[in-house]
Amino acid sequence: MARSLAGFLVLLLVVSICEAASLFQPVSDSHRSAALELFTPDHGSFKSLEETYEALRTFQIFGIEKKPDVTASACRSISETVGSSTSTSKDLFYALKANSIAECKIHETASKGIISSLNAAVSAASSLLDFYYSVGGLVLIKDQSSKDDIHLADAEGVFRSVKAFSQSDGRWRYSSSNPESSAFAAGIALETLAGIVSLASSELDQSLISTLKNDISKLFDSIEKYDDGTLYFDDKLVDGYEYQGPLSITSSVLRGLTAFAAVTTGNIDLPRDKILGLAKFFLGIGVPGDAKDFFYQIDALACLESNRVSIPLILSLSSAVLSLTKKDSLKVRVTTVLGSNAPPLTVKLVGAFSSVSKDASLVESQELKFDQGSGLHILNDLLKSIDVGSYTFVFEVVLQEPEDEKVYVMGSQTKVPIFVTGLVKIENSEIAVLDSDLGSVESQNKLDLTAKNDVSLSANHLQKMRLSFQLTTPRGRAFRPHQAFLKLRHESKVEHIFVVGNSGKQFEIVLNFLGLVEKFFYLSGKYDMELTVGDAAMENSLLVAIGYIELDLPEAPEKAPRPPPQPVDPYSRYGPQAEITHIFRAPEKRPPQELSLAFLGLTILPLLGFFIGLLRLGVNMKNFPTKPIPATFAVLFHVGIGAVLLLYVFFWLKLDLFQTLKVLGFLGVFLVFVGHRILSHLAAASAKLKSA
Amino acid sequence: MGKLWVISIASISILLPFLCNAFSPESPTDRRLLVLLDDFAIKSSHSIYFNSLKSRGFDLEFKLADDPKIALQRYGQYLYDALILFCPSVERFGGSIDYAAIIDFVDSGHDLIIAADSNASDLIREVGNESGVEFDEDPSAMVIDHISYAVSETEGDHTLIASDDLIKSDVILGSKRIAAPILFRGIGHSLNPANNLVLKVLSASPSAYSANPKSKLSTPPTLIGSAISLVSIVQARNNARILITGTLSMFSNRFFRSGVQKAGSHTKHEKSGNEQFLTEISKWVFHERCHLKAVNVKHHKVGETDEPALYRINDELEYSVEIFEWSGTSWEPYVANDVQVQFYMMSPYVLKTMSHDKKGLYSTSFKVPDVYGVFQFKVEYQKLGYTSLSLSKQIPVRPYRHNEYERFIPAAYPYYGAAFSMMAGFFIFSFVHLYSK
Repeated sequence: MARSLAGFLVLLLVVSICEAASLFQPVSDSHRSAALELFTPDHGSFKSLEETYEALRTFQIFGIEKKPDVTASACRSISETVGSSTSTSKDLFYALKANSIAECKIHETASKGIISSLNAAVSAASSLLDFYYSVGGLVLIKDQSSKDDIHLADAEGVFRSVKAFSQSDGRWRYSSSNPESSAFAAGIALETLAGIVSLASSELDQSLISTLKNDISKLFDSIEKYDDGTLYFDDKLVDGYEYQGPLSITSSVLRGLTAFAAVTTGNIDLPRDKILGLAKFFLGIGVPGDAKDFFYQIDALACLESNRVSIPLILSLSSAVLSLTKKDSLKVRVTTVLGSNAPPLTVKLVGAFSSVSKDASLVESQELKFDQGSGLHILNDLLKSIDVGSYTFVFEVVLQEPEDEKVYVMGSQTKVPIFVTGLVKIENSEIAVLDSDLGSVESQNKLDLTAKNDVSLSANHLQKMRLSFQLTTPRGRAFRPHQAFLKLRHESKVEHIFVVGNSGKQFEIVLNFLGLVEKFFYLSGKYDMELTVGDAAMENSLLVAIGYIELDLPEAPEKAPRPPPQPVDPYSRYGPQAEITHIFRAPEKRPPQELSLAFLGLTILPLLGFFIGLLRLGVNMKNFPTKPIPATFAVLFHVGIGAVLLLYVFFWLKLDLFQTLKVLGFLGVFLVFVGHRILSHLAAASAKLKSA
Repeated sequence: MGKLWVISIASISILLPFLCNAFSPESPTDRRLLVLLDDFAIKSSHSIYFNSLKSRGFDLEFKLADDPKIALQRYGQYLYDALILFCPSVERFGGSIDYAAIIDFVDSGHDLIIAADSNASDLIREVGNESGVEFDEDPSAMVIDHISYAVSETEGDHTLIASDDLIKSDVILGSKRIAAPILFRGIGHSLNPANNLVLKVLSASPSAYSANPKSKLSTPPTLIGSAISLVSIVQARNNARILITGTLSMFSNRFFRSGVQKAGSHTKHEKSGNEQFLTEISKWVFHERCHLKAVNVKHHKVGETDEPALYRINDELEYSVEIFEWSGTSWEPYVANDVQVQFYMMSPYVLKTMSHDKKGLYSTSFKVPDVYGVFQFKVEYQKLGYTSLSLSKQIPVRPYRHNEYERFIPAAYPYYGAAFSMMAGFFIFSFVHLYSK
C-alpha cells in the first residue's frame, strides 16, 4: 500500500516536472552542464573509486572532452588499489571499471596477482554480490588486457551456483540465507551471468541460457506502470535492507539486460513497448540533482542507446507552442534517447484533435518534410482548419529501411499536446447605462480595449449597465477565452467580479443594479472598472481599466450584510508611533513677591501702632517689684514667656510637634510656678494698696 | 534485545546535552531540520535547495511522510528545530506526527515550511489554515496568468507564472535585489484579513486568477488578482516562523536552473530568481537574520547610577537598553531609529523614541509624570520581518512626602509677619499689663 502510494506520488512529481505528460525530450545540454556541476572532484580527486568510475563513465557517455582533470589522480588510486594485496574484490572491481575508461597502465605482475585473487574469490563466493564483483573484475581484466587466457575453470558450475539465487518470479535473492528477492539483484545477476558466459572457455549449455531468457521475460511481466505510459521496476520496501529506489533498480535491470544481450546469440523476446516505456521513465525524471541518480539515469540511457534488444526512438518537438502570427512551423525531431540522429524515417501527422471537441480529426493524414541540414521534420504551413486553441496532434513514425524495424522501437502513435496561439481581434466594444424599465440607452461610450480608457458614468439602483465586445479569431471564428472578467472596485477596496458571458462572437454583460444592491453592500460611490480578457491561445491578453461608474444606491437597512474586512497594508502596520509627552499640572498662581513683602510690611504696622500708643499712654515700669525675690520671679516669668514664644519660632523653623510639646510641658510647669509667685505677689501688693 | 535497550538509552543520555544545546536563545539559528517527503525522488530533484541548506550548516534528516517511525519529540524534548513539509499529498503522517503535533511544534517556537501543490491533501490545507492562509478549495485549480506568464517552448497553458511582485523588505529578502522573475506553478492561497501575523511575500499579478485550466469558467473564481498570495510568511508571537507556498516545483532544480522570460518582455534572464529568493527567505525562516534580543535594561535618575526601587513624581530619569541582531554566527549591534520606550500605566503617559550610539545601546531621558501609581517601562518593538521585542519592567511612582514641599513661600510672608508681630506685641503687653502704673 505504502509503495503504491509512493509510486503514485512519483507520478505526480513526474507530471509536475514534465508538464506535457506525453512529450519527452531527449537528453539535452542542461544534462551536460548538470554533469559537470554534479561530478566536481573534491581537491582534484573523487571520494571513492566507485564515484570516480561514475564520473568518468558519465563524461564518456556525453563525450565531454574538457573533463576536469581527474585522470591522473584516478590512475594513482587505481594503481594503489590494484597493487595492494588487501583490496577486496569490490575495490578491485571498481578500480578496474574506472580503469576501463581512464586507461591507466597496470603493472604486469599486479594484474597477474589480481587475476589469481579474483579467481580465488569466484570459487569462494557465497553471495550474489561476491560473484558480481569477482566475475565482473575478471571480465574487465579480460577486456582491458586483450589476453585470451583468462577464463573461468568451471564456468558452468559457477553459472549454476549464481542461477541458484533466482526466484520463480524472475527476481533474485542476494544470498541463499536472505529470503527477500529483488529486481535490483536480478539486474546484478544478469550482469554477472553475462560475465560468466563471456569468460567461459567453451560454449555453455543452451538450456541454461534459455531458462535465463525465460526468467527475463518473467521479470518484465512484473514491471510497474504509471498513467502516462512510463514503466519502471520497483522492489518492496524491506526493513533492514537499504532500499534502492525505482531509478537505481530499473537502471540495474537495464544494465544486466544489455550485458546479457551482448554475450548471447539469438533474440531475447521482450515486448518492444516495454523498452520504450522504460526509456520514457528515464527521460521523464528530468535532471536529477544527485550524482548517483544522475549516473543511474545516464548509464541506463546509454544502455538503451546501444543495446541489442531494441533501441527506442523519441519524438520531440522543438516547440509545443505555435504562433499563427509568427507563422511558426511545426518542427519534429526524432532521435535516440541520448539525442543522436535516428535512421532514415518519415514522420506523418495523422490527426489533430481539438481539446474542446475530441471526436473528429481536423486534418488529413500528411507527411512532414525532412530537412537534411537540421535533421528536423517540418510542416511549414499550419492548415487552414487549425485555429487558435489547444490541440492534441498525433504523429506516426515509419522507418524507411525495413531492416531498422528490428533494431529500433518506436511507439505506433505519439500524441503531443500543441498550443496554437494568435492575435484575437477585439471589436465593437462599448459600455452603456440603460434605463431599467424602458431599456432606453441613457449614455453610451465606445471603448478601445487596447489602451486605457477613461469613461465616467453614473447610475442609480434603478438603472442597468451594459458592457459588450466581440472577439474573433485570426481565422474569423468566434473565440471564447478562458478568462473574461469584469471587476468593479469600490473606493473602500471591496471588489466584485463578474464573468462576461457570450453568444457566438458577441460578449455581453448587463449589470442590473437593483438586483446587485445587496451584493454591493449598499455602498454608494465611485466604482473603478477593469476588464480582463485572457486565454492560453490569445497572444494579446489584456487587463484594461475602463474608467469608473458613480453609483447611487439606497441607504443600507439595519440588517444588511457588512462588507468583509479588507486586508491591512503590511507596511503601514509597523513603524514608530507618534510620541507622547506628559502634560504636567500647571503650578498654582501666586502673587508677586513685592506684593507679599508689602503686605508683610502692613502686618508689622499694627505692632508699630501699638508701640506708639504705649509711648503716648506713658507706659512705665513702676510696678516692677523692687524686692530681689519677687524681682527674680518676675524676670524668670518673662524669660519663661519669651522662651515659650521662642519655642514657637523653633517649632515653625525645625522642631516637630512632639519635641515642641515636650519642651512646652517643662516650660509650662515652670511658668505656672513662677507666674503664680509673681502674680500673687502683684495681687498682694495691689490689695495692700487698696486697703491702705 | 535488552542489551540494545541499555545501549540506546545510554547513547541518548550522552547525546541529550548536545541535542538540547542546538536551539537556544543564545544562538537562535536552527540546526536540525526534519524534511518530510512524499517520495525520495524529491531529494534528488530538489537537491540544489537541500544542498544550499546543508552548506549553510543545517543538519537535514529526510523521511517519508508516511514513515511509521517519524516523531517530532521524544521524552518531551523536540528532536528538531524546524520542519519542512514537502509532502503535499500526504493524507496522514506516519509515526506520532499529526496535525496537532505540528501545531504544538510551532507553538513551542519552532519553524515550519509548508509546500502544497495541486491536489494538496486536506491535512496540508488544514495546517495552512491554522497558519492563517486559505488554499483554493477547488482541488484542480491552479494559478493562471495570461499576461505575466513565463514564456515556455513546451507548455502553453500559462500556469507557469513569472512573478516579481515581492514584498518590499530588505530584511526578509536580503539586501541584494532579486532581478529575475520567480517561476511558480501551483495553487494560490489567500490571507485571512483578520490575521495580522501573516504576510504576503510573493503575490500574483492583477491579471492572475485561480481556476482549473482545463474547464470553462461559469462563475467567477474565488481567488483573483493580486489578492492571490503565492508565497506567504508568518511570524508568530513566539517568534516561530512559517513559510507557506502552494507549489513544490518552485524549489526544484529544474526551476532553479531554468532561464526565464516574462511574456511581453524582451529580457531573457539566464536563471530564474527562485534560487536567490528561496535561499534568502530560508535564511529568514531559519532565524539566520532578523532575530533581535534586548539585554541590559537599565534605568536610573539623572546624575546617579544605581537603579532606584521607586521614583518620585517629577524625577528626571534615564532609561537604556541594548539591542542586538543575530547575524547567523554572532550578535551584532542593531541600528534603527524607531525604537521607542513607553512609561505606561493603563495607557502610555510618555512615549519616546530612543537615541542610539550605533553600538546597540539605546537610551533616552524624560521626566516622571506628576501622577503616582505603579508604572511600567515598556518597549514594544515590532518591525516588518524582525522578531518582536516586548520588554516591560514595573516601577512604582510615589507623590511628594510632606516635608518635600517648598518650605517658606513668599506669598505667606504676611501671615508669618502677622503671627510674629502678634507674639512680639503679646510679650511687650505682658510687661505693660503687669508693671505699668
